[in-house]
Amino acid sequence: MEKPIYRPVLKMCKISYLKAAWSLKTRALTEMVYVDEIDMDEEGIAEMILDENAIAQVARPGTSLKLPGTSQGGGPSPAVRPVTQSGRPITGFVRPSTQGGRPSTMEQAMKTPRTALTARPITSASGRYIRLGTASMITNPDGPFINLSRLNLSKYAQKPKLAKALFEYIFHHENDVKNALDLAALATEHAQFKDWWWKVQIGKCYYRLGLYREAEKQYKSALKQQDMVDTILYLAKVYLRLDQPLTALNLFKQGLDRFPGEVTLICGIARIYEEMNNISSAADYYKDVLKQDNTHVEAIACIGSNHFYSDQPEIALRFYRRLLQMGVYNCQLFNNLGLCCFYAQQYDMTLSSFERALFLAENEEETADVWYNLGHVAVGIGDLNLAYQCFKLTLVNNNNYAEAYNNLAVLEMRKGRVEQARVLLQTASSLAPHLYEPHYNFAILSEKVGDLQRSFTAAQKSEEAFPGHVDTKQLIKQLKQHFTML
Amino acid sequence: MPKKKRKKEAPELPILESKNWLIYLLYVHRDYEECKAVIKEQLQESHGLCEYAVYVQALIFRLEGKIQESLELFQTCSILNPRSADNLKQVARSLFLLGKHKAAIEVYSEAAKLDEKDWEISHNLGVCYMHLKHFNKAQDQLNNALELNRHDLTYMMLGKIHLLEGEVDKAIEVYKKAVEFSPENTDLLTTLGLLYLQRGDYQKAFEHLGNALTYDPTNYKATLAAGSMMQVHGDHDVALSKYRVVASAAPESPPLWNNIGMCFFGKKKYVAAISCLKRANYLAPFDWKILYNLGLVHLTMQQYASAFHFLSAAISLQPKMGELYMLLAVALTNLEDMENAKRSYEQAVALDKCNPLVNLNYAILLYNQGDKQGALCQYQEMEKKVSMVKESSALDFDPEMVEVAQKMGAALQVGESLVWTKPSKESKSKQRAPAGKASSTQQPLGSNQALGQAMSSAAGYGKTLQLPPGAGAAAKPPSLPLEPEPGPDTSPEVPAEAEEQSKSREAGD
Repeated sequence: MEKPIYRPVLKMCKISYLKAAWSLKTRALTEMVYVDEIDMDEEGIAEMILDENAIAQVARPGTSLKLPGTSQGGGPSPAVRPVTQSGRPITGFVRPSTQGGRPSTMEQAMKTPRTALTARPITSASGRYIRLGTASMITNPDGPFINLSRLNLSKYAQKPKLAKALFEYIFHHENDVKNALDLAALATEHAQFKDWWWKVQIGKCYYRLGLYREAEKQYKSALKQQDMVDTILYLAKVYLRLDQPLTALNLFKQGLDRFPGEVTLICGIARIYEEMNNISSAADYYKDVLKQDNTHVEAIACIGSNHFYSDQPEIALRFYRRLLQMGVYNCQLFNNLGLCCFYAQQYDMTLSSFERALFLAENEEETADVWYNLGHVAVGIGDLNLAYQCFKLTLVNNNNYAEAYNNLAVLEMRKGRVEQARVLLQTASSLAPHLYEPHYNFAILSEKVGDLQRSFTAAQKSEEAFPGHVDTKQLIKQLKQHFTML
Repeated sequence: MPKKKRKKEAPELPILESKNWLIYLLYVHRDYEECKAVIKEQLQESHGLCEYAVYVQALIFRLEGKIQESLELFQTCSILNPRSADNLKQVARSLFLLGKHKAAIEVYSEAAKLDEKDWEISHNLGVCYMHLKHFNKAQDQLNNALELNRHDLTYMMLGKIHLLEGEVDKAIEVYKKAVEFSPENTDLLTTLGLLYLQRGDYQKAFEHLGNALTYDPTNYKATLAAGSMMQVHGDHDVALSKYRVVASAAPESPPLWNNIGMCFFGKKKYVAAISCLKRANYLAPFDWKILYNLGLVHLTMQQYASAFHFLSAAISLQPKMGELYMLLAVALTNLEDMENAKRSYEQAVALDKCNPLVNLNYAILLYNQGDKQGALCQYQEMEKKVSMVKESSALDFDPEMVEVAQKMGAALQVGESLVWTKPSKESKSKQRAPAGKASSTQQPLGSNQALGQAMSSAAGYGKTLQLPPGAGAAAKPPSLPLEPEPGPDTSPEVPAEAEEQSKSREAGD
């Protein structure tokens, strides 16, 4: 008989605790999958091609992120520094939002390797958000914690404390932007449009939905209310998406007046300059970052790779060793250390670094990178057989490694096997049409054999990939002479 | 009815070649778009029977690099007019551009039957034979072409064949005639200058290269060759200013950076030299000359580990060179690996025929090891070479080398050699350094860059320079054991036609 009495009491207890525990659990669930929205910037194929947000279609050089060939000089040429896609040099630090050029047509986008343009395999639209949501549901065996369709959002919007936690849950955990936006709209109304936080959240929702101008409006109004670094970063993201790098730069510089020495802002400026291929300004700003925060991994890595490709491997080595001191311990770092050691003539540490890199490699692509670089070391010591084996191993690990195909072809050519070299070069140029080396080598090879038509086509592709290449220009001139002569 | 028909037909008969003048005019004005439109119109009117329209269309295709299409159209032309040597010539030309040299020869022979007095046919036959490596036939055809009509290109090809067969003197004769015939052709002037350079005839080489530079001040090849000649004579500043002219035009040229590096080396700016050479090496990892120079500079900087590294890399790319082994041995000596140093010296002595330094250095090593007998042997070997070289040419030996050799002679208590006039009376205790020095001398044509050779364009034959041994052996002050100080060395290169491009790549992190 006692039981019936207990029950109601217990229930009342539960109800009174409910909001605190409920809010706590939402927060815990959100934090499990939380990724900072600022760094979440992925463009799928659809956003890259079908989306036309940029106002200027043919922007002046130096004012757009979409024209890779807008370098104002100062940076190393493709003959020295490898490029990702047509003219964008590879960066020292890969972020989720890193983009290496854009495909110009849908067909081209489907044909290129999936990781060629962004840091992750690209999807048709930004599908990652959806996948994050589904992934989190699998971890929860009892099904979803909150059934969104049954929530009365207007009720929650009345209670700001609950609403904020719930919004973050809906936005980050469930990735249900539409419901999140509904809740945010109700909440900001309830707060009489005086809470900048809600404005920023609405802006985030708009941004996700692709409504960049609306998002810009919300962010601007939030900035008027309250200066926040976050808001500046969000607004800059909008401008970058609209392809207005100069506006974003201005915004960052204004932000720096209000928050002098803010690392994320300086770093943002540096990233924009890097995207615009203005490497020297980017390096200056990365150095400013290091003055504020001398453990900034991105800045160290970028300056390091910059020094490496401008004939200063010793200095690059110091930067990478700094990373090592800070406790970074991964395949790429040791790979870079090995390269720097070799080119800086620190022969005692070269091979052990590469060994460690091989040991730490997490997937086959990384292993392939290490073998590829080992091949370069082998070429450097003149052991061409070893180099041959290394490049072969690169291909075993990663069958789409265009650089390795090219280098193998060069080695085959040295042995005099023209046919093999030709096939390898063809593979390389079909895998990576943005590299000028396979095209150029193929042109030379065909010219040598006397097949001037193929030589000409290949030389033209080479010129397209690297317009400033002197030898290509000479070759084309020579071929044209052949064609005009009677 | 038949009457009526005939009446109608007569005025309708289209004039096949009515617009040839317009097509020609547009083609010559390079207004290809307009020209194509007129051709299309003309072909429609004549149902494809207008020979000239097809012909010009084929020429335009060829200009655009579509050789296959142009070949088909020229074949149509020769079907329309089988008696024309011109059409056959164009068919053969297209075949040649496609790399089908045998077929091209056949068609050219056909054309030759129709027109026997055409220099172009002979010239092109010669070029085809050259591609097929029938040099004798090629020479005949080219000489034939010269008799019919003298032409720069024919001279060029003939000279090239002589070079391919290794007959430098004949090639020089051919180029001389060519320069007389057309004295303003910079290509001919440059090539002739380079050939003189290769033979060591500096006066004439300078003359011709200078002429080439007068006509074309930014000529890359001529500038590089002229710069390297100045370097040989020690005018490093002048050479550098020459290089500056071309550096902006060809910022990624390995031979250029190599030569700039050696200029700095000559001016004793070693760090600058190393960074220039390393840039060159980064751009052309298979070029043994750059590696050789890097090894040399590092020996001078007394960084023996690096020197060994670069020299051994150079050896694996160019295994047939005595001086490389000698320098390697010097590096090994300083790395305290006497066994391998000896072996390396033996290899060097076996490979080298005319550089006395090799033997001198070996003698010093043996002497320092206490092997007086062997040292004496090498010393005599060196004397033989010295007297031989003295007879053949009037080269001056580096005074430092002579000095060390004299000390060595005294130490070995050899009778004063016939070679050097004044014996020095140095005491035995004076040990001299291995004279580490050399200069890159004769490489066979084309060994310049093995790959460059493999991939070099048809127009380029491997060009390398022969330089006189600018050898300097350095003696160190007494009591300092074993310190090599290589003297200045330059091994400038003339441009190679092709370099492979391979890059190092950092993994993105």
